[in-house]
Amino acid sequence: MTKVEAIIQVSKLESVKNSLHEIGIEGMTVLEARGHGRQKGHTEFYRGREYTVDLIPKIKLELVVADTVVEKVVQAISAAARTGKIGDGKIFLSHIDEIIRIRNDERGEDAL
Amino acid sequence: MTTAGSLSSELRDLYTVESARIREDFAATGNGSAAISQRTALVEKIGLHLWKEIICPEEQGPQKFALVALGGFGRSWLFPHSDIDLLFLHADHETEEAFKDQVRGFSQGLWDLRLKVSPATRVLQECDRFDPANVEFAISLLDCRYLAGDRDLFARLHDKVIPKLMITETQPLVQRLAEVTRKRYEKFGNTIFHLEPDVKDTPGGLRDCNVALWLSLLSSMEKLHDWPDPKSLLSSSARKQFEPALDFLMSVRCFLHLRYGRDDNMLSWEAQEEAAKRGIGVYDAHELAPADWMRIYFGHARSIHRTATQLLEEIPAAWSSLSRHFHNLRARVSDADFSVVDGLVFLRQSSALQDPEVLLRLFHFVAQHDVRLSTTTEYKIEQVLPSLAATPPRGAELWLYLGEILTQPHAAHALRAMHSLRLLTVLLPELKAIDSLVVRDFYHRFTVDEHSFLAIESLHRLRQSHSEWEKQYAGILDELEQPELLYLSLLLHDTGKGAPSENHVEGSLAIAEQCLERLDLESSERETVLFLIGNHLEMSAALRRDIFDSATVAAFAEKVGTPERLKMLCLFTYADIKAVNPDALTPWKAENIWQLYIAAANQLNRSADQRLHPGADLDDEKVSRLRVLAPGAGKKVKAFLEGLPQRYLRTYAANEVLHHLEMSESLGKHPIQLDLKRGRHWFEMTLVTTDRAFLFGKVAGALAGWGMNIVKATAFSNQAGTVVDTFYFTDRFRTLELNLSEWERFKRGVSDILTGEADLDRMLKSRMQAEERKNTPKVKIKTSIEFDEKCSSNSTLVQVVTQDRPGLLYTVASCFSHHKCNIEIALIDTEGQMAIDVFYLTAHRKKLTGDHLKEVETALAEALRSGHSQGPPSTLKPVSR
Repeated sequence: MTKVEAIIQVSKLESVKNSLHEIGIEGMTVLEARGHGRQKGHTEFYRGREYTVDLIPKIKLELVVADTVVEKVVQAISAAARTGKIGDGKIFLSHIDEIIRIRNDERGEDAL
Repeated sequence: MTTAGSLSSELRDLYTVESARIREDFAATGNGSAAISQRTALVEKIGLHLWKEIICPEEQGPQKFALVALGGFGRSWLFPHSDIDLLFLHADHETEEAFKDQVRGFSQGLWDLRLKVSPATRVLQECDRFDPANVEFAISLLDCRYLAGDRDLFARLHDKVIPKLMITETQPLVQRLAEVTRKRYEKFGNTIFHLEPDVKDTPGGLRDCNVALWLSLLSSMEKLHDWPDPKSLLSSSARKQFEPALDFLMSVRCFLHLRYGRDDNMLSWEAQEEAAKRGIGVYDAHELAPADWMRIYFGHARSIHRTATQLLEEIPAAWSSLSRHFHNLRARVSDADFSVVDGLVFLRQSSALQDPEVLLRLFHFVAQHDVRLSTTTEYKIEQVLPSLAATPPRGAELWLYLGEILTQPHAAHALRAMHSLRLLTVLLPELKAIDSLVVRDFYHRFTVDEHSFLAIESLHRLRQSHSEWEKQYAGILDELEQPELLYLSLLLHDTGKGAPSENHVEGSLAIAEQCLERLDLESSERETVLFLIGNHLEMSAALRRDIFDSATVAAFAEKVGTPERLKMLCLFTYADIKAVNPDALTPWKAENIWQLYIAAANQLNRSADQRLHPGADLDDEKVSRLRVLAPGAGKKVKAFLEGLPQRYLRTYAANEVLHHLEMSESLGKHPIQLDLKRGRHWFEMTLVTTDRAFLFGKVAGALAGWGMNIVKATAFSNQAGTVVDTFYFTDRFRTLELNLSEWERFKRGVSDILTGEADLDRMLKSRMQAEERKNTPKVKIKTSIEFDEKCSSNSTLVQVVTQDRPGLLYTVASCFSHHKCNIEIALIDTEGQMAIDVFYLTAHRKKLTGDHLKEVETALAEALRSGHSQGPPSTLKPVSR
């Protein structure tokens, strides 16, 4: 099983969610996040004050999927989140040893 | 004697069979109070069996040892899965020691039946000691009931020890009870209106029934020095609502326990659906829609909550010393109509409420001072309600008071009190559809009406916030010209959720239109309220896009139109999200809303000079509305609007535009047309005239000469050279406020300066000398001058942020004029002691060139540093365009 963590633009959440639903992925955790990679901050002046946003609002998606569908999931996220510009985000993959469903102790892929 | 094993199995069978019977009876009748009485009797029967088998074969033996029921068991309110509170009462420690093993065996017997027992063992003399760390035990004694053992021992506890304890410790007991109750209320956001309430602990739940009964009991015992008659605990009027509500809640809790098979009191959506289908707690148990059944629940919860909070307020011992201090402070706010005693409002004349104005003033008083209505005042309101409902106040009279109530710091508290007494829905029947309305989604925690009150409350609370970003929101709230419109929009924004319309925004708009019609708001005010309701989801929607993308910001700003509306929509969005649930407005969201706000505010200032061409802009809603208002004046309207900035139409309502047109048509009679009005915060003077050099500076100078403080201004001109300038100013010396006769003299004075018949320099000289002597700023504002040549295709934008002071606008405008700059548009604003002025400048109808721009910048910096104006140029000629 693989944990997929994707940092995407706020505006791309809906289309990424729809793409994942289309390939049968229903469950995911969505977190409000801030950060930046190469895309640097943004400065706005308002009433003589400077408002600098060096950490840009982003969305972090977390989902754990069976190894057999990882590539499909990555494709779906990339295609839906891509604009081709700096700031599109990143996808991180990591191996998961075990999953336990708290309600009934199901384990492994049954608990997905 | 029966063996332990056979007794246990015999009792288990008895408990299983009887419990099943109780469940079946409840399923058939839905009668909660019968079910809990039956379970109490069943547990009592089992207890007596065990007592006879384990402790003493005689029910009233042994001596010096008694079994006492406490808490819910003592009250005979044993719900299907409630804990069983027992007290093993001993006369002395010797008996306690002697029966130790039997007590253990007794408890074990009950646990074996899977009954949840909470046993306590006490010697009689320990019961008369008050332990501040265990107030719960002292309170549970209030519900004590004899079960078995030494009757005399129980009688000593009941008749002597408990009354003595309660009388000597009333103050700390009531205070602690109040403290625990207030903490519980806080945990539930101080509201009964939860979408999925806990029928025991949510305000208005069964716990509040107990609190009300305990408080009454303690208060009566303190007076009587004995146990009172249980029937006398609540007043007959309170009992009339309290008892049916209690019956209802008992049935609901029974239903929940039996449904979940455990002590779970959460009225989930699924449970609501089933309870409504079975008509739980409802007379003749007929099926209802879940929303209608929940309305019944909230109606009862409201009665219980009201009784409990009234008792908490009325019993002086319920106050901490700090709240007592506040109550005393509040007593000082009494006035000619209302007196405040112990934080409760009383009427000085009981018949006063016959006058609807006094009734509305009463709630204005509540909203202003955060006081509660006394029971007698509430009773008086209930009495006048039917006659008020027959001919409710409406139109401007109602709006005048309602607007005032909405802007007071404790508006939400007053609205809740009005709503609870059914007064709010008499005044605004539009709110009936959302009264206690549960709308199911995964985000909202409160009913629709409570959500609206919370949204209003969260805006008022901004002013007390210490958080940096909330202070920013509070800043723009204080700048609003008509905050009452924002609050009214919040009150009405979700009314559509109670309408059959599929889109709640459309439903709310239709309902709001009726309401605004009845309140007789001015057309510009109506437009603002409808704009806010119609677009209340726009900012949230924009947040789901890239808020740093200029196209997103431009599209959003275009939709909003004016800075004033932007401020309102930003605050609306903040309040609407904040009132969804306590965690809905994350710092992430709050910061993003603010970022979008400042980006859109800048966008609005930087696109202010896009010109109108009504021939090409036929789709503009305002232009169409103008046609409706003045059907025969189409050509004139078109000609007047030609060349005015688009922002002009967003700034003024359709009827104001027509008024400007009329003023421009009168220019033949007099070259200066002035209109003076008094607004909520400031005076508003609109000038329509033919453009001429130094016009804007001269008006600013004339106002400064009269001692007026300009807080905002807008200046627009059309293709034909007709200018529409509006100045908003405060009357620092109350010249106009106190002397109506001065209005005409003032207008004439301004007009004379503009026509050159009066000497501006001389007028200003003496005023400025006086100002310089006494004017020391409290906060130092650093001056910044920012030029932007890119944002407009025709003009150079300059933004001046500096220390506000009398005559500032005159200084800036005269500097521009001396350096041959024409002010195309001026957007003047003030924030505390900071002036934020934006000007669109041209020279010879073009942007300023590099050298010219530098020269203006240097001169402006010098003028702002020295504070000296250069005065108008000697020759003044009309400017041709």
